[in-house]
Amino acid sequence: MKGFFLGLSSGAVCAAYCAPVLVPYLLGEGRSVLQNFLALLQFLLGRLLGYLSFAVFAWGIHTSLPQDIAHRNLLIGAAYVFLSGLLIFYSFFKAGRACPSAGGQEIDHRLRNSRPSLFLLSMGLATGLNFCPPFLLAVATAAEQASLLQSVLFFLTFFLGTSVFLIPAPFLGLLRGFSPLHVIGKMAAGLIGAYYLFIGATMLAGGFYR
Amino acid sequence: MKRALKIAGYTWAVACIVVVLATFVGNNYFSAKLASSTGITISPWFSGGEIVGSIDHATYKTVIHRPVFDGLIGERKEGFIQIEWQPVTALPLVIEDGIDFTGDGKEDFAFRLDTAAGRGTLTPRNPSVIAIQTLVKVNQGWVARIQLRKVS
Amino acid sequence: MMKEHPPHAKTIEVRQSPGKSFLFALPMMLLTLMMMSGGKIPADPQRLFVFTVTYLFFNLLFFLMIHTGKTDRYRATAFITYAILFIVSFISHMFEARGSMSLSQEKILLCEVPFCHLVIPMTLIPAAFTKTIIFPGTITGGYASIASMFTIWIGASLSLGRGWCSWGCFFGGLDDAFSRILKKPVFRNINPRWTYLPWAVLLAVVLSAAAFLSPTYCTWLCPFKTVTEFEAVTSFKILVQTILFASLFIALVIVLPLLTKRRTQCSLFCPFGAMQGLTNRINAFDVRIDPDRCINCKRCVTACPTLSVTEESVRAGCPLISCMKCGTCMDVCPSGAVAFHVRGTPVAGNRNIKRMLFLYAAFLFLAIFSGGTIQDGLSRIIRLITTGSMI
Ligand code: SF4
Ligand code: SF4
Repeated sequence: MKGFFLGLSSGAVCAAYCAPVLVPYLLGEGRSVLQNFLALLQFLLGRLLGYLSFAVFAWGIHTSLPQDIAHRNLLIGAAYVFLSGLLIFYSFFKAGRACPSAGGQEIDHRLRNSRPSLFLLSMGLATGLNFCPPFLLAVATAAEQASLLQSVLFFLTFFLGTSVFLIPAPFLGLLRGFSPLHVIGKMAAGLIGAYYLFIGATMLAGGFYR
Repeated sequence: MKRALKIAGYTWAVACIVVVLATFVGNNYFSAKLASSTGITISPWFSGGEIVGSIDHATYKTVIHRPVFDGLIGERKEGFIQIEWQPVTALPLVIEDGIDFTGDGKEDFAFRLDTAAGRGTLTPRNPSVIAIQTLVKVNQGWVARIQLRKVS
Repeated sequence: MMKEHPPHAKTIEVRQSPGKSFLFALPMMLLTLMMMSGGKIPADPQRLFVFTVTYLFFNLLFFLMIHTGKTDRYRATAFITYAILFIVSFISHMFEARGSMSLSQEKILLCEVPFCHLVIPMTLIPAAFTKTIIFPGTITGGYASIASMFTIWIGASLSLGRGWCSWGCFFGGLDDAFSRILKKPVFRNINPRWTYLPWAVLLAVVLSAAAFLSPTYCTWLCPFKTVTEFEAVTSFKILVQTILFASLFIALVIVLPLLTKRRTQCSLFCPFGAMQGLTNRINAFDVRIDPDRCINCKRCVTACPTLSVTEESVRAGCPLISCMKCGTCMDVCPSGAVAFHVRGTPVAGNRNIKRMLFLYAAFLFLAIFSGGTIQDGLSRIIRLITTGSMI
């Protein structure tokens, strides 16, 4: 549940980050909504794979964390503070930065021309594996989960939460003004970041916030 | 067409004035209708949840609400249970109660309330009982919320 | 491409002679008399006095609105008076009922907290999923119950759209007031990017409220708690929250409106206002700019307290969705290009009828909604003067 909401709340940012990558592709091809939808599915599948591998990773972090509560709170608190700081920074001060996976665009360019389906899958994987701030917050939260299953479940729900925002993408042929959503999503992420900053700070301060 | 639109527009505008009047004249009626037709209630996180039982002590009674774990969808891991002692005028200086909210015949926690000092002591007998969240004197009596966590 | 004044430009035909103004205002006098008195005129002399003052106050303002053809000046007078007397009345109520402005644990546990419209957006998702309202108030009955506030909100949305924010909201008058104090703004340019912030706040509070099942805007952000009620500081968390909302109040409701001459809280932060903008779309009234009359002087762009008029929107002929129908833009327009408009009708022509229809809906709303509070606030002040205590 928590994963789903974290996903939902940061999903707008995800969409805002990723749409610049995804949308031109979808629009550029000038295909039908159905075709776009299939493309989106491939993209999402890639993302899911990326997320699930992170679930395993987060569980790994969890098992290697010290088990005693005070120390763990200290570590997780520090992670929250650092990551939410990053989130706030990105949402309010780095307005121009696009999806981190956009960096891979160059390499993907060739893939795109030779194997379009693989291209989308890899783009999805790249966004799934990237270190965009809301995602890192999700990692920090997942590290709190006790078992591998819980960790995987958490990421699955996080994935669903963020995907909600990408679903309209196939219909984006109609959508012109995407930039307001971009700004709004980023600002909302900044606010949620501020909240996590507070939680992290209190965790650090006394480890009593639960 | 233009004419029809114009008439529709003006009718709509006049209707807005009627809506303003109706909003205030019919406020009681509409609010009651709104409440009854939606069947909406206050979230148990604020109301404390439905009352499921009570313990009668001759002069006063202990009221037990249901444990609240309600999430947006499904249930949460963390919750609470609300207990009340009333009426305030008939409460002894020290109250001791054993509460069984799971209904298995076994006490889940014991609570000792010192009404004079306004202090409560919780003795958990079930691993899901965590701590006292709130203990407040209200006009009818005392209210306590005990933090619960589901154990899987 | 500056246009010459068209020949009819200076004739602002919404101005009326005193006789005609009186005739136009007559129905308002009757309706407000009926609604404010509830059918019976108070017998108690002090009550009667307060009632008469309030009644005359409103009807004089309405008369002037028609007679002078100016909207915002008189609207703001009533709107700001409402906000100030609302605080007077509310705080005295709180002191009467619980001896302080701070909200005790007791009131929260007993679900006796007055409900305000700002909570509405946060309650919608939880209400849809759980059929419950995430607020410690009462559904019906009692002071400011949830169902009655919802009814008023629905009525306002249907009749005024976001006009609520200039004619109904009992908080809006505060930043409106502070935005009028200086003659010229100290800061002129606000990055239009910030007009998206309310949407971000809306998104964040709606989702977090659904996730935590708690009205997060109220607990963490609402600046107006400073002048109504707030939780007693009993923990570090509440201390942080208190510092947060108090600084937001100082910044968004006092300092920034003063320096920018814009209603910064309402147009750059309030999540309810953002949501209310959507109801502008389902509303009979809007504001239009007649391209044939516009001389492109951009006074409306500079004057709009909510940043709802941009150069593009002047070109497009209507302000943005965030328009609060306050009337400032039409008051400053030298060529009478901006006016209230009824959807479905042509932009030019019949401007007086359209304006009158809107003003009847909006002013009636303001007068009825605020009448009781203004009377209560006035009696409290009289009590303060005569007995030295408001309660
Ligand atoms: S105030 Fe606005 S609408 Fe009026 S003439 Fe100037 S630019 Fe045009
Ligand atoms: S566009 Fe005009 S009526 Fe709308 S908020 Fe701005 S000044 Fe007020």
